[in-house]
Parts: sequence; structure tokens; C-alpha cells
Amino acid sequence: MDHFPTNWGRPRNDAYDAYGTFPLPHRPNNDTKDAFASGVQRTQQPIVTGTSVLALKYKDGIMMAADNLASYGSLARFKDVQRLHPVGKYTVIGAGGDISDFQYIQKFLEELIIEEFTSQDGHDLGPAEIHEYLSQVMYARRSKLNPLWNSLLVGGFKDGKSFLAYVDLLGTTYSASTLATGFGAYLAQPILRKEVEGKETELTEDEAIRIMETCIRVLYYRDARSIDKYQLATITADGVKISDSRHISTSWSFAEGIRGYGAQTQ
Amino acid sequence: MPDTLSLSQSQPQQHAFNPYTENGGTILAIAGADFSVIAGDTRQSEGYNIQTRYAPKVFRLTDKAVLAVNGFAADGNMFVKKVRQRLEWYRHAHAKDMPIRAIARLIQTMLYSRRFFPYYVYNILGGIEEDGTGAVYSFDPVGSYEREACRAAGAAQSLVQPFLDNQIYFKNQTPAPGTSFPRHLPLSTVLSLVIDSFTSATERHIEVGDGLEIYVVLAKNSPSIQGLRDVRGVSELTSTDDGERVFVVRRELKKD
Amino acid sequence: MTSIGTGYDLSASTYSPDGRIFQVEYATKAVENSGTAIGVKVNDGIVLAVEKLIHSKLLVPEANRRIQTIDRHIGLATAGLLADGRNITTRARDEAVNYREAYNAPTPLKILADRLGLYVQAYTLYSSVRPFGISTILGAVDKDGPSLYVVEPSGVFFGYNGAAVGKGRQLAKTELEKLKLSELTTREAVYEAARIIYLVHEDAKEKEFELELSWIGKETDGVHLPVPKDLHRDAEAKAKAALETFE
Repeated sequence: MDHFPTNWGRPRNDAYDAYGTFPLPHRPNNDTKDAFASGVQRTQQPIVTGTSVLALKYKDGIMMAADNLASYGSLARFKDVQRLHPVGKYTVIGAGGDISDFQYIQKFLEELIIEEFTSQDGHDLGPAEIHEYLSQVMYARRSKLNPLWNSLLVGGFKDGKSFLAYVDLLGTTYSASTLATGFGAYLAQPILRKEVEGKETELTEDEAIRIMETCIRVLYYRDARSIDKYQLATITADGVKISDSRHISTSWSFAEGIRGYGAQTQ
Repeated sequence: MPDTLSLSQSQPQQHAFNPYTENGGTILAIAGADFSVIAGDTRQSEGYNIQTRYAPKVFRLTDKAVLAVNGFAADGNMFVKKVRQRLEWYRHAHAKDMPIRAIARLIQTMLYSRRFFPYYVYNILGGIEEDGTGAVYSFDPVGSYEREACRAAGAAQSLVQPFLDNQIYFKNQTPAPGTSFPRHLPLSTVLSLVIDSFTSATERHIEVGDGLEIYVVLAKNSPSIQGLRDVRGVSELTSTDDGERVFVVRRELKKD
Repeated sequence: MTSIGTGYDLSASTYSPDGRIFQVEYATKAVENSGTAIGVKVNDGIVLAVEKLIHSKLLVPEANRRIQTIDRHIGLATAGLLADGRNITTRARDEAVNYREAYNAPTPLKILADRLGLYVQAYTLYSSVRPFGISTILGAVDKDGPSLYVVEPSGVFFGYNGAAVGKGRQLAKTELEKLKLSELTTREAVYEAARIIYLVHEDAKEKEFELELSWIGKETDGVHLPVPKDLHRDAEAKAKAALETFE
């Protein structure tokens, strides 16, 4: 019996066994052996995790989407978690990866925003500044071999300009008109690019919502660590709006027609 | 069962955090008699994912020096940031831009200072020396460096470098009887070689493509300016008007 | 003051024979020389107002603020030495951050006043330091609604419905007492605060002054902000008009 809950339901570890070819005894060994020898323990793996975050540029600004699930291995542990978080007046960050690290990030960004506010110097932080700051923190932590285990999207709108960029646990950064983290990079990004690239200044909010719904649905069908409850955020000239939780409709009737395995007799 | 169990115990699975990744792409630089060309594609990728189609790898440092950085993008961006900071401090202390020979040594020092936790980046520095000649310096991640006439690095190094060896150094070629190969090529020829290198690398390497940025640094009053006259997509980035000049040529590459 | 010059007034760490600490009393004098600062607490908010004396026409307008922001929901106004006011501001911000880190909630003003009181009091204990030459008005809208405190140079602090410190405090206090604070809106309180500052300013004796106004209330969403330009102008105009008809 494997006594480590973090291994349950994890047939494989993508880092060294991408196709699950190792037999059970070769699963990640979580023996703490020497972990405390040095007196400190660093984050070596995420525990409670969120999956994909999606974002796109459209006519009025930026739209972002993320579902409300925080998983504990394969266990759907928390089903009402908000993974889109407003920072200041012009920015939203969305997080995949370790939820406790994300909460820590929320905390220090809140402190940063208050520090800026109390100085009352007529300046405030926009999405570009927040992304730069986050990048420096993420890179500094990876350089201490003690990363914040997240993939983050930073979306914002300030002074008539929209901003969308990515940063992750390695400190890797990039910017594009559509972005997706986690499984979204494989399943949603192709759809987003097809629907958005070249149309960034024409897409309406309704069209953007429809695209996001499509992507969230595809992810719900194929990403086992996702659920059908999600939130949308828009960042436009009118400021930040994060929707209440929404439900994505799905249809499973096709399952009736599947033949070849399962319980049916012919 | 006890057998397999002891097997797993005898070979504990190491699962440490890996602070590095590879972000693909290719850079190259070629030195002429009185100019230097430094180029890189703009694709950034990880594994089979294209992260973005536009992430610059080539950076203007001063009016006479341009740095191309390839490898782990986060390290690359941080390294350029630190180099720029050092150049700014130099400007504040000495009221002039650091000469490229000194920038090259600075870069070696900065890279070597991280010998035991290296910046996982290959650097190529191009520009104009104080004597007005075109220069290319290339570095490995821990700071070994040399001045060369041309260098390719990155994902498609193994595709591009042999091509340059053949076309720039005339390796495996014999001059026609009574003639000799030129020591330096004209700017227009160099630009053609650069563009051909990248279109070819784009065809054959999945990590190369999307966009191409070619920086051209010209020595003071260089006649090579003629070679830039009718180049499509060229724009000037020079900040002063009495010295070297910097241009950038932007081109599309195939996006598949 | 009796027993001045007897040697008991040189250090904050020494009592006089009749049980006083002269350095603290001198600090209070420093406050009394300063332009007036007032705080008004009404049902749904707080208003802070300062009479900032301008000692030179060469100063940039709106520079050297005496009203500062401590946290989103907390404002602070000082009367006394400007630099001491800045020090207390820094300390107050640190305390507010510290509270947030520990409890993940906005600092209740009562707790901030308590912590600042301890800080200020510590400067009355040692011969190596001088007590703060400021009185500090703290205003906030927190989980228990609006609240207003004053921290004195001795480190004592009291809660108030209306507070006045500095030169014109006596007259300001009588004016504050006349107000029906429970019936005012925050917006109305801005006008009253501006009027009082103009009233207590001694035109004949003093040089120019600049009116600083800030508020926290429903209209600012519980956030401490400078009073908007147009409201500020209007309140100033009304205050000047009221001066004509006073008495």
C-alpha cells in the first residue's frame, strides 16, 4: 500500500515518466530521509493544484478564464476556489499550479499595492509593472531552488493599452495575444489562436465569451483535473470585472454509441 | 513483491526541482570589415509548445554593441538586464559607452562568476571595435570566449555553422587558379547569407521560425550604408549622430 | 513653569521632584506652535483637515503634506514638527502592514492607536532620545465603523468624536462642540472642517496657509483619499464666505 496521498491516482510523473512506462514500485519516492538534515525543506512538488488558465485579447481589453477546482492529486478536493485574482485597479492574475503558493502571491501583491497607495504620489501600478515584479520574484525564488510552483497569466488594461503576459516557476516570461497554461497550452491554445489571432481589435465581448466557453468545454471533456464550474474576468477601460461562477453545458449522450469496451453485451 | 520493493528502495527516485529549461531558437553573427551583423529568430518554445511568436533574443546595448542571447530565456533576459545595468554604471562613471572589447571581457567575468550555477545561455556579441573594425565575440555559458568572424548558436547551430564555415571561411572550397578568397564579404552578401541561414533553419528545425530580427552595426562613416539602402523592412535605432550607427531589419519567417 | 532651570528638564529620563517630565511638556509646546489640524467623526465617515502654514512663497504648492495615508482605510494628520510626523507615518504604515501579515485583515484603528501610543511613549523613557514633537490625529473607517484617535507626545491616546490639535485647537474645539456630528454626512463634514480651519487661522499674525482636506466614507468606498478638487474648492469658497458673516 502506498501511504503517500500525493501519489494516489498518479500513475506517472511527467518529469521522468511521461508515458507511464514504469511499474508501480518506481513511483515517486517521498521518503523524507535527509530532507530535514539541513533544517529547511524547499518546495519540491505542488500539493493542492489548479489546472489551466486561459486568456485572450479582444476589442475592449483582456478576457481571462479559469475553473474553480483545486485538486489534491486526483482528488477533486476544493470545488469553489477562485483562481482569478484582481491586483490593483487595472490587473488580474490567474494561476495554475500550487494553490498555497498562489495565496502567498496574492498576499504579497496586496501588500505591494497598499504600499503604492499609501505613498499617494500620483502613480499606481499597472499590469506591466505587476508582471515585471512577479517575474523578478519568481526568478529569484527559482534561483534559490525554492520556487513558487505556479504558471501565472497577468492580464490588464491601463492608459488605453491592453497587456497580457505569462510567468512561471522558472521565471520564464512571454507575451502574446492568446495565452494558456497547463493542459490549456495543448487543448485550448490552438483554438484560441485560430479564433483570435489577427482579430484582436474586432472581437466583441460576446464573441470572446463564446470562444472561452468552447475552450473550457474542451478542457472539461479531456483534462481529468478540471471541472465544469469556472469564472471569467474582463479587464477593460471600465476596470476589472470577475464574474460569479458559471456552469459549462456538456453532452454525454455520445457515450451510448460507444462500442468495443465497457459493460455492453454486443 | 519483496523483491520489487527492495529494488525501489535501493534506487531511490531522485525528484529534485530542475531550475533550467530550453527555449529553442537560433542566433548568429557575422563580422565584416567595417560592420557587424547580429541576428536571431523571435520564436520562443518549450518542448513542442510555441510559447510566443515574438520574444526578441537580440538586444541593442549601445550604438556600437549588440548582444544576442540564446538558451534558457529567463536566464537570458536576466543576464541582458544585468549587462545593461553594468553598462549604465560605466556610462555614469566615465561619460562614454564601454568599448566592445571591454564589454566582451565584462560578459566573461559575469558568466564565470556564476560558474557553479551557470546562466544557461549562449551569448554572441557583435559590434564595432575602437579601431573601426567589425567584431563578433562568442561565449559559452560559463564565460569562455573568443573573437571570431562569424558564429551561430542555439537550436540550429549544427545546421547553420557548417553553412557559414563554407560561405564565410570558404572551408572545403578551392579558389580558382591565380585568385584568392576575400577576407571580408560586403554587407549585401552577408545579409543574404543571414536570411538564407534562417529560412533554411526554419525549414529543417521545429524550434526556429516566426520572425527574424537582423541588427546591423556600421562603423563611423562606413560606406557599407549603401548595402542597406534598399533593404526591405529596415529601420534605424542609432541614438547619437556622430558615431557608429545601428539598424534593424525585421522579416517574417514561416510559422509552422 | 516652576522648577524650570533646576536641571530636571534636560532629560526625558528624569522626573522633576513634583513628578513631571519637562521634556514631554516642551514637546507639547512644539505642537502648540504648529498650524491647526482637526478630525471630525460623523456617522458614516471621517474628515481630516489641516491648516498648513506656508513659510515661503517659493515652496511648491501642495508639497510637504501633513495628512498622510497609512493603509487603504486609515488617514493620519499631525501638528508639530513635520519630520516627526513623517517618522510616525512610517511607523504607522509598518504597524499596519504587520497587522495585515499576522491577521490577513485591515488593521482596526484602536489597535493601531495602541501600537503608536506604545511607540511614542518609548521616546519618553530614555535620556538618549527626545520625545515626539507632534500630536497625531488618526482617522479610519474599520470593521466597527468610523473612529478617531489622538496620540499625544506623552504616548497617551484618546478616542474622540471631534479632535483638534495645534495653535487654534481651543477655538476649533468650541466650534466642533457646536456641530451636531451625529446628523452630518461626511460631505457636509468636509464643509464644516474647512470652515473651522479658516475660522481659527489668525490672518493678522500668520503668513499664508494652505488647506489640506481628506476624507473616508461611503463616497470613497471606505478608502482614505484627498477630498476631490471641485469639492475642495467649493468648501474653501464657502469657508471664506462664512468668515465674512461670522459673529
